[in-house]
Amino acid sequence: MNAPGTTESAEAIARARAGDQEAWGDLYREFAPAIFRFCRRALPTREDAEDATMEVFMKVRDKLHQYDSTRPFTSWLYKVAANHCWDLLRRRKIRQDKETEDLDTLPLEHPDPSQLEQLIEKRTSEEVRKALDKLPSRARMALVLRYYSDMSYDEIADALGVRRAFVGVVLLRARHELRQALEGSGALAVGGAG
Amino acid sequence: MSSPPGTNLQNTGTPHLDEMTILLYLERQLDRARAAEVSAHTQECSSCRLLLRALERESRLLTRAMLEEEEPLPARLTSFQEAARRSLQWIWMLTFGLAATGVYALYTSYVEPVQNRLQDAGFGGTNLLGLLIFQGAFWKGWQSMISLVEVLALVTLGTFTAMVLRRRLRRGSMLAMLLAGMCGVMLMPSGTTATEFRKGQNTEVTSSEVIKSDVFLSGDRMSVDGTVEGDVYAFGRTLDVTGHVLGDVIVFARDVTVTGQVDGNVRSFANNLTLRGTIGRSLTIFCEQLKLDRSGKVNRNITSFADSFLLDGHVGHDIVAMNGRFDLRGQVDGDIRLRSEVFTIESSAQVGGPIHYKGTKPADVSPQAKLASAVDYEHVDKDREHGGGAHYYFWRLLWSAAFILYGLVLILLMPNFAGDCVRSAENAGASLGLGLLVGISAPIAAGIACITFVGFPLGILGFMLWLIMLFSAQIVFGGLIGRWILGPTEDKWGRVGRMALGMAIIGVVVPLIHYVQILDLIFRIAAMTWGFGAIALTLYKRVAVTPSIPIPPPIAA
Repeated sequence: MNAPGTTESAEAIARARAGDQEAWGDLYREFAPAIFRFCRRALPTREDAEDATMEVFMKVRDKLHQYDSTRPFTSWLYKVAANHCWDLLRRRKIRQDKETEDLDTLPLEHPDPSQLEQLIEKRTSEEVRKALDKLPSRARMALVLRYYSDMSYDEIADALGVRRAFVGVVLLRARHELRQALEGSGALAVGGAG
Repeated sequence: MSSPPGTNLQNTGTPHLDEMTILLYLERQLDRARAAEVSAHTQECSSCRLLLRALERESRLLTRAMLEEEEPLPARLTSFQEAARRSLQWIWMLTFGLAATGVYALYTSYVEPVQNRLQDAGFGGTNLLGLLIFQGAFWKGWQSMISLVEVLALVTLGTFTAMVLRRRLRRGSMLAMLLAGMCGVMLMPSGTTATEFRKGQNTEVTSSEVIKSDVFLSGDRMSVDGTVEGDVYAFGRTLDVTGHVLGDVIVFARDVTVTGQVDGNVRSFANNLTLRGTIGRSLTIFCEQLKLDRSGKVNRNITSFADSFLLDGHVGHDIVAMNGRFDLRGQVDGDIRLRSEVFTIESSAQVGGPIHYKGTKPADVSPQAKLASAVDYEHVDKDREHGGGAHYYFWRLLWSAAFILYGLVLILLMPNFAGDCVRSAENAGASLGLGLLVGISAPIAAGIACITFVGFPLGILGFMLWLIMLFSAQIVFGGLIGRWILGPTEDKWGRVGRMALGMAIIGVVVPLIHYVQILDLIFRIAAMTWGFGAIALTLYKRVAVTPSIPIPPPIAA
C-alpha cells in the first residue's frame, strides 16, 4: 500500500469524521473499488465480495472515530476488511484452521531455482488468479494480505490469529500450494536441490 | 520445527540456504546480522542467488496478478447505500416482531394444548422440554426452573450475546470464561439433591433401612425392600421393589417387579414389567411385556409403549398406549387412547371413560364388559400406520424425482439466478427472517389486493409468484445442502449435481423423521422458509441493481 492517505483523502476523512455526508461519499467512491477487489480476492464468490464490501464500509463508517489519523488510512481500511473477511470465513467454517502445529511439517529445503524460474516465466496473471481461487482460505488470505494489501507481518499475524514468527511459514506454505495449483503437481513445492 | 523459521539457517544439512530463510531475507524479516550473512552467502552461491531472484519474481507476479484485473465494480456498490441499510434494519425489527408473535401463537395454539394433553396422559410435567428429556428425571431441578418460553428467551439472549462477542470468541480466555459459565450453570441444580450410590452384584435397600435421599442402584440383582424417601434410579438386570418409595422410580433393567408401594411415578425402559403393588402417580413404560396384576394399581395414568400389555388391575385415570397387543381385564376409571394391532376387552373389564382405538382390526369386546360407551374404532391401514409401506416410499421417491426434475429445469433456465439464490441461502439469518416475513405477508397482501377490483390481477399474479417461490424453496434448500457438502461451484451442471444431492438427502431424511410427526413438520417448515427467504433476498438484491461503472485504478500499485 504505497499510496496512503493523500492530502485530499486526509481532508475528506476529517470531514467525514465530523459527519459530512458528501465527504463520506467521496471517501467511499475513492476506496470502494480497492476494497471490493480485496474482498474478491479473499472470498470464494463475487456475491460474497459484494456483500462484504458493503459491510466493511458500514463498519468503517461506524468506527471512523477510532481511526488514528497519524497512520495511513488505507492500512486501517485493509485491516478492517481483512478482519471482516476472515471473520466471515470463520463463521462459515470454511476457513481451514491448520494452526501452528501443522506448520511444523514444512520442510526447510532448497528448491531448484531454474524450475521455479520456468514456472513463473510460463504463467500469466490470469492463470495465477485462477490458481489463487483454488487455494484454501488461509493460504489465499495470507497471500492477499501480503501481496495485495502490502500488510506487515505483524498485521498479518493479527488478522489471521497466528504468532508473528509463523507468518513466514504460512506465506511459504501458501506459495507452495499456489505452485502446486499452477503446476498441477507437487514437484516444486517440496523439491530440493540439496 | 521447534523454533521459528529463520533461526536455524545453517542447520539444514545442505550447503545452500533453505527457501524459508531466503524468503524472510527477501521480505526484510531477518535481523541485521543474519541478513548480512545471507547477503554474503548469495554473493558467493549462484544457486541461492537464483532462488532469491526467482522468489522475488514470484512476489512481483503475485502482486501484479492481484492488482491487474479489470473487473467492473458491481452496480449496487457504486454508492454507499445507507438507505438500504436502514430499510434492512426495519426488516429485521419487523421480522423479529413477527417471529415472536408467531412463536407465541404457535405455543398457545399447538404446544400448550399438547402439553396439557400429555400432562393429563400421565407425564405430569410442567413443560414440553421436561417431557422430551424424560420428565426431567436426569436433570432434577431444571424441570421446575425452566419453561419453554424461558428456554426461548435464553436462546434469544444467548444468540445476541454470541453475536456481540463473536469477534472476542476467537480469544481463548473469552471462550474459557463462557465454557466455565455454562458448566457453572449446569452444575447449579445438582447441588439441590443428595444422592446415595450403591453398586455390586446384588445391591439392595434392606427392609430395615430408611434412606432419606435419592438412591442410585446398579448391579445384576437390585432390590428395594426398605424405605426410600427420595427417588430411586436403577440400572441393572433385575429390580424388585417390595418396600416403599416416596419419590419416583427411574429404571433401566431387563425385569422389573413392583410389589411394594411407589408414591411418585415409575418411568421404565425394561423387557418385562410386572406390577403387583401400587403406584401413587403415573407409569410411563417402554417395554416388551407389561403386566398389571389383579392386585396392581396405578392411581393416575399409564403411558405405555409395549409389545404386549395385560391389564388386570386398576388404573385411576387414563391410558395412552401404543401396543402390539392390549388385553383389558381390569378397571380403568378414565379414558383409553390406544393404537394397537390386537385389542381384547374381556368380561371382567370396566372402563369409566370413552375408548378411542386405532388399529388394523376392530376390538374383540366381551358383551359382559362394563363400558361407559362403545369403542370408538378407527381403521388404519397397516402400511400407513407404520409410515413405511412400499406405497409411501414409492410416493416419496416420485416426489423427490419430480422436485429434482423441476430444479433441473429451473437451473438450466436461470443458471445465474439459481446460483444467486443458493448463495443467498448461505446467509441463514436473513433467509429465514425474510422467508418468515414474505412467506406470511405476501399471500395476505395478495388477498387484500384481490379484494379491491383494480388490484385483482396484481393480487392473482402475486399469489401465483408466491406459489412458485414456495415450490422452488425446497430446491434452493437442496442446493444449499449440496453446496455445503461439495463446496461452491460456478458450473451449471455442478449446481444441478449439488441440488440433486441435496434433494436426495432431504428425500432420505424426511422418511426417517416421518415417524416423529412434529419433527417432520418442523423440518419441512424450516426448509421451506429458508429457501423461500433466499429467493426473496435474491429478488431484493436484483431489484436494487443499477447500471455498473468501470472500476478506477487500485489504491496500491
